[in-house]
Amino acid sequence: MRRIAHVDMDAFYASVELLRRPELRDLPVAIGGTGGRGVVTTANYVARKFGVRSAMPARQARELCPQCIFLPVDFDEYRKFSRLFKAAIATLAPHMEDRGIDEVYVDLTQIEEDARSVGVEIKRRIREATGLTCSVGIAPNKLLAKICSDLEKPDGLTLLGEGDLERRIWPLPVSRINGIGPKATERLRAIGIERIGELARFESAVLVDRFGPNYGRWLHEVALGRDERPVVTESEPRSRSRETTFERDLHPARDRAELTRILTDLCERLAEDLQKRRYVGRTIGIKLRFDDFTTVTRDMTIHQATADAQVILHVARLCLKRVRFARRLRLLGVRASGLSPADGAVTGAPADAGWETLPLFAASSGLQPPDEPSGSAAAGESSGLPPAHRV
Amino acid sequence: MLLINTQRDALLGPLQSVSGIVEKRHTLPILSNVLLEKQGDRLTLLATDIEIQIKTTAATSGGADASLTVGARKLQDILRSLPEGTDISLQLDDKRLTVKAGKSRFALQTLPAADYPRMAQAEGESLKLALTQKRFKRLLGLVQYAMAQQDIRYYLNGLLLVVAGGELRVVATDGHRLAYASEPIEENLARTEAILPRKTVLELARQLADSDEPLEILLGGNQVTFRFGAVELVSKLIDGKFPDYERVIPQGHPKLLTVPRLTLLHSLERAAILTNEKFRGVRTVLAEGSLKIIAANAEQEEAVEEIEIDYSGEALDVGFNVTYLLDVLRNVSNENVECRLNDSNSSALITLPGNERFKYVVMPMRI
Repeated sequence: MRRIAHVDMDAFYASVELLRRPELRDLPVAIGGTGGRGVVTTANYVARKFGVRSAMPARQARELCPQCIFLPVDFDEYRKFSRLFKAAIATLAPHMEDRGIDEVYVDLTQIEEDARSVGVEIKRRIREATGLTCSVGIAPNKLLAKICSDLEKPDGLTLLGEGDLERRIWPLPVSRINGIGPKATERLRAIGIERIGELARFESAVLVDRFGPNYGRWLHEVALGRDERPVVTESEPRSRSRETTFERDLHPARDRAELTRILTDLCERLAEDLQKRRYVGRTIGIKLRFDDFTTVTRDMTIHQATADAQVILHVARLCLKRVRFARRLRLLGVRASGLSPADGAVTGAPADAGWETLPLFAASSGLQPPDEPSGSAAAGESSGLPPAHRV
Repeated sequence: MLLINTQRDALLGPLQSVSGIVEKRHTLPILSNVLLEKQGDRLTLLATDIEIQIKTTAATSGGADASLTVGARKLQDILRSLPEGTDISLQLDDKRLTVKAGKSRFALQTLPAADYPRMAQAEGESLKLALTQKRFKRLLGLVQYAMAQQDIRYYLNGLLLVVAGGELRVVATDGHRLAYASEPIEENLARTEAILPRKTVLELARQLADSDEPLEILLGGNQVTFRFGAVELVSKLIDGKFPDYERVIPQGHPKLLTVPRLTLLHSLERAAILTNEKFRGVRTVLAEGSLKIIAANAEQEEAVEEIEIDYSGEALDVGFNVTYLLDVLRNVSNENVECRLNDSNSSALITLPGNERFKYVVMPMRI
């Protein structure tokens, strides 16, 4: 049987801030929403006692807890601690799936020691490396591990063993399952299901009938605590995307100017994101959702990977030409996939690379004076992106 | 409701001059249509793909006034398949357009004219050029084959038009070779540059006549208008920075040879038989009094062509994509061409003897 740990840092942003300002430790503290607008990203446990929660509008948090101290968000600092705690886990169990800035799954199947010792050791090493506490859930799969880590927060360690599914998981509300959101919770409540145990008693066929084949079958499986997803250690992102839902549905012809502006903006933001992460993508795709909620995607692979907004925009437009517009649009998205590090050698050279005609316009200056002595010809190959990509 | 009584050819001609830009598969269904506007004794036909818009008129008489859009290809195919000189009529009833000719009858669906997109009039000052259709057509012919096609450097998928120094210059490049040509025009026009989209260039080359009939070019804002005969073609311009063509035209390449164009063309065509789609390379080996063209392929087959030339400079062995050489030789018409070379990493400059107005630069292949 597999043994998976879900490690979830306790009130991560707030805890990192409190390391720098220990004098605030016993006071209610919220991160974000400093300007009076915006939302709280994290609240410490003192603030949570007043009802302050993540994603709560700052105004509401102030009403619930007028003495709450609001601190600005410092992502650089959180990322630093994120790296530290993940590195600490890796010293013990390297088979780890990154789930964001403050949580990971760790596959402990290959580790001999008993689950409790491993859990204690993970918590000890994280504390040593960062001074922070976390909650760990250890279970036979990711689904249960994630539910577990939440059961004894903060600073918890929850193990799920034989018979614990019925005893500890089934009494929980269905919304504790990652993948059952507010809408599904509402629909389940409508048929009298509020707890995971109640869901487990429903026939798979009934759920399929109500929720469709995929989701229905999945609901049945998760209620029985079944989840076969492996711990994925891949760290390279596969794609980056940007999308936006319009404030009102847009007409493909009449709102063309507006759509063009949005598309340009999405491409620029995507390019910015890629450049910041130092990635280039070879496949550029678009996603459209029409007013009847049908969704179409188109993509196109280009010769040379790019992170340039103009190039992304150009390819996105070519993709758009392949879509038949019969309805108004409610969403537009742009995606870059086939990512590779921007500094790496750009592949995609044709098979007959040895027989390529030299470029007329070279890399750095945008030009290669062809009448210069030989040797300058090599300048054309030096950089990954040809200059022409910059306009 | 009868709209038009006319002859097949009086409608087919104008239709063909606007329908060339209609995309077969377009994102907006209405763009497969052509707009017909009948007003008095005038029928206006208009088609667009949103980047280009072509408008023309045909004279008609009688019939009611109406505006509608109808499938361009279908209407064109119907007219074309009718015998020449057939009398036809167009009739609009309840959103259906009926084409009648003799005992043939076609009822076509229409879409409202109000929904048909039209390009806005360019704002601001525009520059006006006038020359004959023939001269501009010739100019396009000298360079248009060098335009890039679906290049990611989108501004290369077109043709650079430059008005400067009493000249109209056109430049096209795909990043490996570049063609340049110019024509004298009236002095004192403001220096202007614009990149015409590839499709616009091809459409113009197709439609312009080999005649001394006038062509008017209006450049302004982000679009260009061409007026010739009864046709008005409006095109968006490519917004981008075209590479500096002047700096890649080599100066002072030491090796000069003059070669009979057709002799060189035919030698290259024969040698090209042993190249393939992927390996288009040929070696050009220059020695005293001789130019050899050598092509070899993966199957170890080899073609050798030798041309006697008047040359006494240094020897040189340089590779070129044969297509790039064939392109220029097929698109100029002079008896001889001049080639200027430097070394195997430098571009070749091909010009026409006694003509400063045409230049073709091609980069060598790395062998």
